[in-house]
Parts: sequence; C-alpha cells; structure tokens
Amino acid sequence: MAVRRILVCGDGLAAQMALTALARQVAPDTAILWVRAGDQRDGDLLYGSVTGPSAYGFNLAAGVDERQLVLGSDAAFSWGTRYAAWGAGRSWMQAFALPFPVIDGVVFHQYLARTGAGGIDPYVAGLQAARRGVFVHPPREAGGQHPLARAEYGYQVDPADYAALFAAARPADRVEVVEGAFAGAEVAGGRIAGIRLDDGRMVTADLYIDASGPAAVLGSGAPDGRRIGMAVRNEAGADEAPLRTVTATALGWQSATPLKGRTLHASVYAPDRPDEGALGRRVEATLGRRAQPWVGNCVAIGQAAGVVEPLTPAPMLLLERDIERLLSLIPVTDDCAVEAAEYNRRFADDYDHADLFQRAFFAVDGLPDGPYWDAARAEQVPEKLARKISLFGNRGLLVAYDLEPFHPEDWIILHLGMGRRPRRYDRLADRADKAQVAQFLTGMAREIERAVETLPPARVYRQQLEQFLRKAAS
Amino acid sequence: MGGGTAGWMTAAALANRLAGLGVAIRLVESAEIGTVGVGEATLPHIRAFNTTLGIAEPELMRATEATYKLGIEFCDWGRIGDRYIHPFGNYGPSDDGIPFYHQWLRLRALGDPGRLDDYSYPVIAAEANRFRHPAATPGRVESSFGYAYQFDASLYAAFLRRYAEARGVERVEGKVVDVALDGERGDVRHATLEDGRTLAAELFVDCSGFRGLLIGQALGSGYDDWSRWLPCNRAVAVPTDSKGPLGPYTRATARTAGWQWRIPLQHRVGNGHVYCSDFISDDDAEAQLVANLDAPMQADPRRLRFTTGRRQDFWKRNVVAIGLSSGFLEPLESTSIHLIQDGITELLALFPTRAFDAGDIGEYNRRMALHFERVRDFLLLHYVATQRDDSPMWRHFRALTLPDSLRHKIDAWLSRGYVVPYEFGLFLPPSWVAVMLGQGLVPRGHDPRVRASDDAVLAARAATLRAEVAAAVQATPDHADYIRQSPAAAGLGVA
Repeated sequence: MAVRRILVCGDGLAAQMALTALARQVAPDTAILWVRAGDQRDGDLLYGSVTGPSAYGFNLAAGVDERQLVLGSDAAFSWGTRYAAWGAGRSWMQAFALPFPVIDGVVFHQYLARTGAGGIDPYVAGLQAARRGVFVHPPREAGGQHPLARAEYGYQVDPADYAALFAAARPADRVEVVEGAFAGAEVAGGRIAGIRLDDGRMVTADLYIDASGPAAVLGSGAPDGRRIGMAVRNEAGADEAPLRTVTATALGWQSATPLKGRTLHASVYAPDRPDEGALGRRVEATLGRRAQPWVGNCVAIGQAAGVVEPLTPAPMLLLERDIERLLSLIPVTDDCAVEAAEYNRRFADDYDHADLFQRAFFAVDGLPDGPYWDAARAEQVPEKLARKISLFGNRGLLVAYDLEPFHPEDWIILHLGMGRRPRRYDRLADRADKAQVAQFLTGMAREIERAVETLPPARVYRQQLEQFLRKAAS
Repeated sequence: MGGGTAGWMTAAALANRLAGLGVAIRLVESAEIGTVGVGEATLPHIRAFNTTLGIAEPELMRATEATYKLGIEFCDWGRIGDRYIHPFGNYGPSDDGIPFYHQWLRLRALGDPGRLDDYSYPVIAAEANRFRHPAATPGRVESSFGYAYQFDASLYAAFLRRYAEARGVERVEGKVVDVALDGERGDVRHATLEDGRTLAAELFVDCSGFRGLLIGQALGSGYDDWSRWLPCNRAVAVPTDSKGPLGPYTRATARTAGWQWRIPLQHRVGNGHVYCSDFISDDDAEAQLVANLDAPMQADPRRLRFTTGRRQDFWKRNVVAIGLSSGFLEPLESTSIHLIQDGITELLALFPTRAFDAGDIGEYNRRMALHFERVRDFLLLHYVATQRDDSPMWRHFRALTLPDSLRHKIDAWLSRGYVVPYEFGLFLPPSWVAVMLGQGLVPRGHDPRVRASDDAVLAARAATLRAEVAAAVQATPDHADYIRQSPAAAGLGVA
C-alpha cells in the first residue's frame, strides 16, 4: 500500500522545512498533515546560525529559491566562520570552497607544503573576500577561470526567521493544519496508531514524522552525550559582515552572526558552569544521536533524531540530510522495513561523519581548562578521526569515508587552519619546477586579492540585489 | 618482481610519475614463467591511466589489436534465454535528483515504455555493433557514455615494457630462487636469481602472480578465501578466429558450472570458460567450451587455477602486492586490470619513504580491501539474481547466505528500485541497475515522488528520449568500419 497521508508533528524549524519540502516533492494525491507539538522556539537555537553551501540546493528542491530568501528573511550571505583564540592563540577562517585545483595529478595543498607556504588563506577566494567584508555571487561562467570561481557560500540565519521563510514559501492549501495541540501518541505493535489531541480527537496517518525537537514526542531512547547550555540574544547592527565569528572562552565559546540589520550573539557553555554574563534566551540539551530514528511508521528528523553542537554548520547540514533522506525513502510498503533500515544506516553514517569534523576541533593542544572543555576533551577520539589526523600530519593525505557531509576542502582548511602541517609532502609535487610553483602560487594569490579589492561590502551588495529583485517583481 | 600485465603496468606508471625524482626502477621477470594474461576486457578508467602516461589511443590500439567496448552482454544469467547489456553509461537523465529509471518503472506500471535499454545510447549502439567516440556536446545522448577497450593483455604488457624501458626501467631476465629477509626488521632485503645474482631494493612490488612470492611466501601475508561466495576456481582459455560482425562489447554466457567469456579483438576472439571444480571436471569444462565456440580454435586450450579472495595485507613491510598476488576476482566484470590500476594509483598516493610509515601502509590496505570487497559483492549479485536452478551450481547459490551489505542492497532494490549508494567503489548505481534489472529483479515499487509529475508528460518525454537514442545510433558508424578507417587499425586493417 502506498503512503497517502503523511503527518508532521512539531512546531519549529525542522517541521517547517520538512513540510515545505514534502509539499513540493510528494505527489498531490498524498495528504500532508501538520500537528503542532511542543514549542521548539528555544530548542531551535541549537541548529545554530549558519548553513553550508548545500542550503542553496536543498532550498531550491523545497521550492524556496534564493530570491525569496533575500526578500523575505533576515538571512545574510556567508563565506564561513572565523574561529578565534581556539587554544594557543589559534585563529583561522573556516571558509567554504569548491575543490582546489589538481595540478599534474597532485592536489593543491601538496604544493603549499612543498614551498613551505604554510597556510592556505591567500588561495581561498571566499576567505579573502570575508576578510574584507565584501560579497558577490561567485562567477561560475568563463570556464571557471575567474579568481572567485572556486568560492562557495552559505547563509547566516536566525532559526526562527529561517523557519518562517519556509512556512511562507509553500502553497497555503497544500498542508492540512490540524487544529489543537498534541497530547500523546497511541502505539500498537511497535507502530503509531494515531495522534491524540488535547481535545480528545485522534488523527491518523500512514507515516508520522517526528520533528518535535529533543523531546521527540513520538520516539524513545534519548541520546546520552555531554550536555551543553546556550544563551542567545539579538543586537541591532548594520554590519552584515559575510562571516560568523566564534571565539573560545574559558567557559566555552561565543559567536556573533551578522544578519540583515542585526547580529545574533550566542554563548555555549557547560550547564553546570553557565556563562552567567551571557544574556538572552537560554536552552540546554544533551548531545548525541538516537540509534534508530526510524521505527515502524515513525521517522525522527532533526533534533528529534540527534542533537549536535552548533559549532559548525553541522546541525543544519544534518537536518537537510534527514529531510532529503526521508524524501528519497517515502515508504512504498506497509512495514517500511527497507526504508527504516536504509534511513537508519545513512543517518548513523551522516551523523557520525559530521561528528568527526566537530570532534577535530577539540583534538588540539592549548585549549582552556574548565567544565565545558574538559567534557569535550574527555570524549574519545574515534578511530576514523585519528586516522584522518594522523595521515594528514604524515604527508597531507586526506582520508575520506563514504558520502561525508563535510568535504575534502573543509578538512584541508580545518587541518591547516588549526595549525596542522604535514611532516612531509607528496613526492610527486617535486615533478614541477620549484620556481614555477612559487610563481603560480603568487599569481593565484594576487589575482584573488585583485578581484576582492573591487567588490562591494556584503551589505551594499545585498541591498542592491534586494532593490533589483523588488523592481523585477513589481 | 614479475612482468606480465601487472608488472609492466606498475613499472610504466612508476617510471612516468616518478621521473626525475631519483627513483631507480628494476623489473625482474623470467621468460620461462608464463603470464596468465586473462582480463582482456577493460573498464573506461584505463583511458585515464593511459592518458596520464601520455599514450595516444590509436597507437595503443594498433599495438594491442584493440577494439572498442561499450559494455558487457550477459546471456542466460537471470534465466536461460535472457540477455542484457551492462553499459558504461546511465539510463536517461535524472530529474530533480531522481534517476530516470523511476519514471520508467512508473510508465511500466501504466503501459509499455519499452525496455530501459531503449533509453541507453551505449546499449542500443552495442546491439547494433556500432561505435563512435562520445560527442563533445554535453547533454546529448551520444555524449553521455563511457567506453573501454578489448585488447590482447600480453601485447599491452609488451607495449608498456617498451614504454617503461624507454624511460629507464631496467629489465632483468632471471628466475628468483630465494628471498632474503632483513634479520632485524623482517623486510625483504634482496632476491637471489638462479644464476646467483642478487637484486636488492628498498621497495618491492610483488607482481609474481597467484603464488605471491614475496607477499605470501616470504612475508606470510595470509589470504582471505572468498570461495564460499564465489566458488569458481578454474578456467580454460582458447583463442579463435573472428567471425560475424565485430561487437563493441564483451559477452559473458552463464553455463551449468560457471560461465564463458567471448572477447572480440581486431585479429582474433578470446574465449574462456570459468568454472567451479566442485561441479564439473576439467575435461568436461574444456569440452563445454569447445562445443560452444563459434569459430575455429587458433591454439590448444590452456588451463588455469585460482582461489577467489584477497591478501589480508596487500602491503606488508617493504612489499606491495599488485595484480594476482594481491587477490583474485573472476573477470566477469572485467575488473582484473582495473584492480591493478587501483593498486598502482593507491601506491602512488601513498608512496613511501624509507621509514615505511605504518599509518600509510594501514591506509593502503584499508582502501584496497574496500575496492576488493565492493567488487566481490557486485560479482556475487550476478550469481544470486537469477531464477536458474538447473544444475548443482545454481542450486548452491540459491541456498547461499549473502553478505548483509548485498542482502540489504537487493532488498532495497526489489522493494522500491532504490540503489543503496556508496562513494568509494568501482560500480556506481547505473551498473547495479543494469545487472539487477537485466537479471529479472524487477522492483515492486518505485520512488513515489515521480507521481508528482503528470503521467502524460512523463510518457511524452520518454518517447522523445527513445527517439533521440534511436536516431543517434542510426547516425553511428559500424564498429569494424570505424576502426578500419582510423589509425587504430591493426589486424582489422589487413583483413
């Protein structure tokens, strides 16, 4: 039997993104129902304030094109995140990037290692643009020859505002809003038989999507990782710098995310020693993932499936992937056995691979002491991460696993940014003439520098784009 | 250590990539020891290998009597009488990230959209014995496919020998009779030849074939025996005259105790019967092969033995095993030469210093194990996606418990046409679709998102695509003519 009724349970970013994507992609003969459950406004802060470059494609497939985002949200363009004071005076810009050039079969960073150039900063176009606070859409035409052709961008967002963007983008009549609030779930034989509402009514569906945040009102088996607390507040500001900054503190870390006309400030700390000075809304959560986010006819997505610290775009990347994975596995049979097995397998891979990237942030020396840092460091380094770090340290080799949410470019920038330098480089990089390599690198850095010099500040670019779009729309 | 396809591919690639870096390369081989030389059909990746070496295609094809290959035709696998082509290319374009075959499955539930093959240019061209190079215009049906070669692997080795020797590789003729290990570290220090000469090196690449002279005999790297999944352990091979049209594809025909290959080259056709000795005698296997040839034999049939599996450590101490010494998977999907290529690529990516870092060696072994295991599952698919039960071998496969990874993959396909994805593996989703569908595994469902599109629109679009494929094939020249009129012609040119 095919699924003809899909019920989404939740009232936050995950629910809105799922509803809009479903509305766009499932066949019109399938009803989409929405039951508001709980209040995820505070919990949604844990999705963080940055998306990766994948947001563009995800949003488009959900029927939210970038014009809507520019006109209808407070989102700002983002080249990435700058991490400061990350132990031992460590600071780097974790910019998004398309793959770096491969020259004579040898990857770009091997030439850096050969010339002893050290960091990769001068060759990452987005990073240089971020340094100056400028933005344009990376020009992809001209056969990729433009100095900014390999730049990549994501968005800086306020989760509540981003959720509203998705809610506004779907046809109003496509989703059937069930009045009343969630009161409980009827379970029979390991499956959900229906959702009970506060007025006593029951709603039934063929497939239930739990988007109710860490409470996971339809699920069971909560994660058991370390706990973090977070405080978030808004400050007015017209800066709109195209990057987020994250600064390590004794208590944890603080971030500033410029949006349209304001900046979102966040502090993350250990709940048993909160950042008392931080103002704003507070939220606490236990990090970790469920073993089985899909059981029977119920699928957990987003924080209902796993909570990730918003240190990188990982929480948003994983939420996107949960929804994409779900869309590719809308069940075609009653027992959902195949779909559940595959969803759970890929979920575990995606989550664990994203976790490798986040854990790498704590696998360095010189970080502060204190409850937050001690707890983060106490977690064992997974063998997969140990291999990535050790082989990069050896010879700049990137170890990769199937379909990781973070790409080789992200890892290269992370390793080098954190100060890891390969002890030796790929011998094949010696095939090229040293002077020619140096000349090539200088030229590349100069072209990027020249190109970013002429770009408008991100705020100006956005304003002009907005004006243009409004004119075009009217 | 050892010539043959593996030895000379390795020597040629190292000579090219390590040129000017102060690495001396020596290859020892004995003219007395024959090479196996199966694996005459290749995969599209070999073109990248040759291009890196700066080898021009026409020169290579002339030297190796090569023909073009668009895929493999499988006969009698799903059921006796069935046939399908596993092409190097996709079926139709994806729509919003949903592969085209889901639309086809939808249309099939409503009417008759023809075969999925009708939407594949390389399949239709292969069936018509036609070939052309992929067009440079992106987005056209005749630009979206890959191709490989069918060639004489011994001639390929000889060609690469000339290439390697011209680039400084020293060839030593001689038979290795002893291997000396370093007493302290246990590394291989030198090999001793029959005439008493010793050959020392810092890095040894073991291309000695099945026996694994260095990796197995000297260093004791064990062998994971995969016979419980892939029990075929013998082959008998024989060349025949060419007959009939020149197919741009290799043929693999299922038999009662194995399968038979047919690989058309310019000057002859390579044939062989891969079989399991539990189910047929060597003499009967040879008789079955001879009875199923379509042209006169050019030589006496030659017999081979092997054990399917892989080395536990492909790289141990200062020895890297490449080729048959590293493992064996029957050439059902033309992976033998490809696995050599993988070994060389990974060796270059992890090329050692004298210190031989354990982490690097571990990573090489992890990567190669993954390459082998993913190919193994794909090969096993051919034997289990079938209704055949007409012989003990086919009944053996019916009773087999599959590796979990393969079981899940087949279940996901049968239920809804979903191909479980991976990133690091040779065979991508279109290959899995080709074999599963070709062998009668028709999914019960399809991605329900295709119902979001209007059925009439899907049908019209599909009809247009089929017509495009048919027209493109009509405009494609005959394979034999295409070679004959090109600088790639060798044996065909004089015919």
